[in-house]
Amino acid sequence: MDERRFFAGINWPGTAVFVLVGLAWEVVIRSGLLEYEYLPAPSAIGLGLGQLAREGTLAPDIAHTLIAVAIGWTVATAVGIALGFLLGLSPTARRYSLASIEVLRPMPGVAFAPVGLLLFGFSLKTEMVVTILPVLWPVLVNTMGGVSGVHPRLYDVSRTFRLSRKDTILHVILPAAMPPIVVGARISLSLALVLTVVAEMVGNPEGLGYGIVREQQALHPDLMFAYIVTVGFIGIVLNAGMLALAETVFPSSRQLRGPQ
Amino acid sequence: MECRSVTVELPHRFGRKRIIEDISFQVRSGEFLTIVGPSGTGKTTLLRVMGGLTSPASGSVLVHGKELDGPPDNVVIVFQDYSNALLQWRTVAANVAFGIERTLDRTDFEQRVRDALALVGLEKNAEDHPWQLSGGMQQRVQIARALALRPDVMLMDEPFAALDAMTKASMQDELFRVRDRTGTSFVFITHDIEEAVYLGDRIAVLKGSPGRIDQLFEIRLPAPRDQLSTRQLPQFLEFRYAVHQAIGR
Amino acid sequence: MTHSRLWRQYFTVVAAALPPARGMLPLVILLGAWQLLQTGNSPYFPPPSDWCNGLVLLEKSGRLYPALLATTMTMLLGLAVAVVIGAGVGLLIGVSPRFSRAVGPLLEFLRAIPPPAIVPVAILFMGYDERMKLTVVVIAAIWPILLNTSSAAERIHPLLLDVAHSFRLSAVDRMRLIILPSVVPALLLGIRIALPLTIVVTLLVEILTSVEGIGALMIGAQRNFQSPQVYGLLVLIGLFGLFVNSVFAVFEAILLRRWPPKAQSENF
Repeated sequence: MDERRFFAGINWPGTAVFVLVGLAWEVVIRSGLLEYEYLPAPSAIGLGLGQLAREGTLAPDIAHTLIAVAIGWTVATAVGIALGFLLGLSPTARRYSLASIEVLRPMPGVAFAPVGLLLFGFSLKTEMVVTILPVLWPVLVNTMGGVSGVHPRLYDVSRTFRLSRKDTILHVILPAAMPPIVVGARISLSLALVLTVVAEMVGNPEGLGYGIVREQQALHPDLMFAYIVTVGFIGIVLNAGMLALAETVFPSSRQLRGPQ
Repeated sequence: MECRSVTVELPHRFGRKRIIEDISFQVRSGEFLTIVGPSGTGKTTLLRVMGGLTSPASGSVLVHGKELDGPPDNVVIVFQDYSNALLQWRTVAANVAFGIERTLDRTDFEQRVRDALALVGLEKNAEDHPWQLSGGMQQRVQIARALALRPDVMLMDEPFAALDAMTKASMQDELFRVRDRTGTSFVFITHDIEEAVYLGDRIAVLKGSPGRIDQLFEIRLPAPRDQLSTRQLPQFLEFRYAVHQAIGR
Repeated sequence: MTHSRLWRQYFTVVAAALPPARGMLPLVILLGAWQLLQTGNSPYFPPPSDWCNGLVLLEKSGRLYPALLATTMTMLLGLAVAVVIGAGVGLLIGVSPRFSRAVGPLLEFLRAIPPPAIVPVAILFMGYDERMKLTVVVIAAIWPILLNTSSAAERIHPLLLDVAHSFRLSAVDRMRLIILPSVVPALLLGIRIALPLTIVVTLLVEILTSVEGIGALMIGAQRNFQSPQVYGLLVLIGLFGLFVNSVFAVFEAILLRRWPPKAQSENF
């Protein structure tokens, strides 16, 4: 969100409602008004977070998940951009692969978990199996679209200046296709987080995803919610961070910011 | 229909801005009253007040002697943006029926729809969708929808501004035909002074900020009016000149 | 409409919208090479022909169809409930700016929680049963539907509302005749986005809890080291997803015939 708008227009009624709901939740549970075994008060969740941090389990779990996300996302983005470029530049290549992409794209990542378990058992590689393919698609499709959608006029310009093929790609096509590529990478990052957490829930028992399931099975709702809140928080930070980074390094991507 | 000392204020940045002030005039039965004026003088606001969409800060609008309380039964507005004023997902016939389908029973309103479509010459397009039609035809659908209500007064907000010159001309004559057949009064806002003189029995010039009625012209031109001959008459040119002057001053 | 006519319509529309068939080449080559190279009895990479055998075995044991049915029913039911609630709340938000502002931050917070994370919560609250599965699917599917509906309701052209006012429509009539039809294209788009989400979440629950469904079959096969079945079911899921998406796309196209082409081709 625009910094100006943030300061000038803080949503008072909305914040009030938010805070009130939180307070009501706290009061209702604490006072015993609503006795629900598995619904912890917000303060309990906060305490749970503190407990996990003190026990030293939170940090390694966060680290594990982040590393898995980083690896998965980097590999998928690299492959996606490379393939996307190839397909974007060559209509023939596109014709001979679009149908396969359309068939593979809707495959749910979670369905790969049993395959991952089969091949790699309980390990980071299983998480990769779940994460990499679905995360590949937004980057690939966006890159392909961005590259193939470069305005023909720009090609005329590069020919007028007699640019070599390499220079055309580096200095004309790449910058022009940057905005959609960056958007694709950002979507992929959020997706990578979700899929990694999923993979940790059903595949490799490590990291934040496993933390959620572990605490659920141990009947520790406060700790479980603590993990969930952490995941949500990391998601927001990753997305915002990616957005800020992208706009600093590639100012041209600002045009496609749109709604988040 | 009558406006008595109508003043309208609308919310503005730091309070309220007076858009139009002390507007008084009458709309006689069966007359064509055109309103002209520079942009921003509140012509649309005036029309909205007359149509019951906005309330005046002071003064009143009366129809048949009764003050307005919301949109009146026998007064209809035709908007300039026909595309967003029609229900694009309904057929033309269903659009025309929109105003009357809830108050009349099926055979009655179907007949009225047919009549209204005949009046504007769109009988063949009853089952089309508005987005399939040209701009002029869509505007005619809106007019048909208004006519289906058999209103006493039709308020039109620059209805032909978005149309090309030839369509505009034929639509103007169509309004004459409608008026002759139904006896409806028209209050017609336009930027186009020639259009105002061609169509109007009287012209109200809205000027200033806040907008006031600067002058009211009686346009006496021989009937029936005709696009070619009427527009060449010396009286036409005199009226045109006078109106230009009134606005420009 | 008779069944055969429906099918013919479906196939015509789908065939017209598909990318050129030669695009299947990479997949065909991959599968073909896999089939040819795997002559041994590798437990990890069984050839595609074995996958078919695995599926046939499952079918013969009578477990395939019930699982497929369970997954499908959960998906459809969950989607239906999500549409009712999502569209309802979405309309409320879109129509009333005050409500929208008040509820905004709360919704933003809830939205940041990824649906898979809700699954353990639901399991804790509701145990291992169909109702829990349904609840999770609803929660996951609701967001795209709600957001699309509310944003479309907010963006209804003010002129249409003027028309409603000047024709003195009651609030109910205004909702029924103007607002609701206006948001239909956006609602359908929201459903289209929610569709793959419902599949994912349904499978996730089934894999995690072994509640009846294709996911449960998959994880069961994995635990028994029946790798051909695992791969076979994976392919089945892929085909299932394709089928569901294409059916909905056709349904959407038919429903949107009355809308201007711009609304029809709104793509995400």
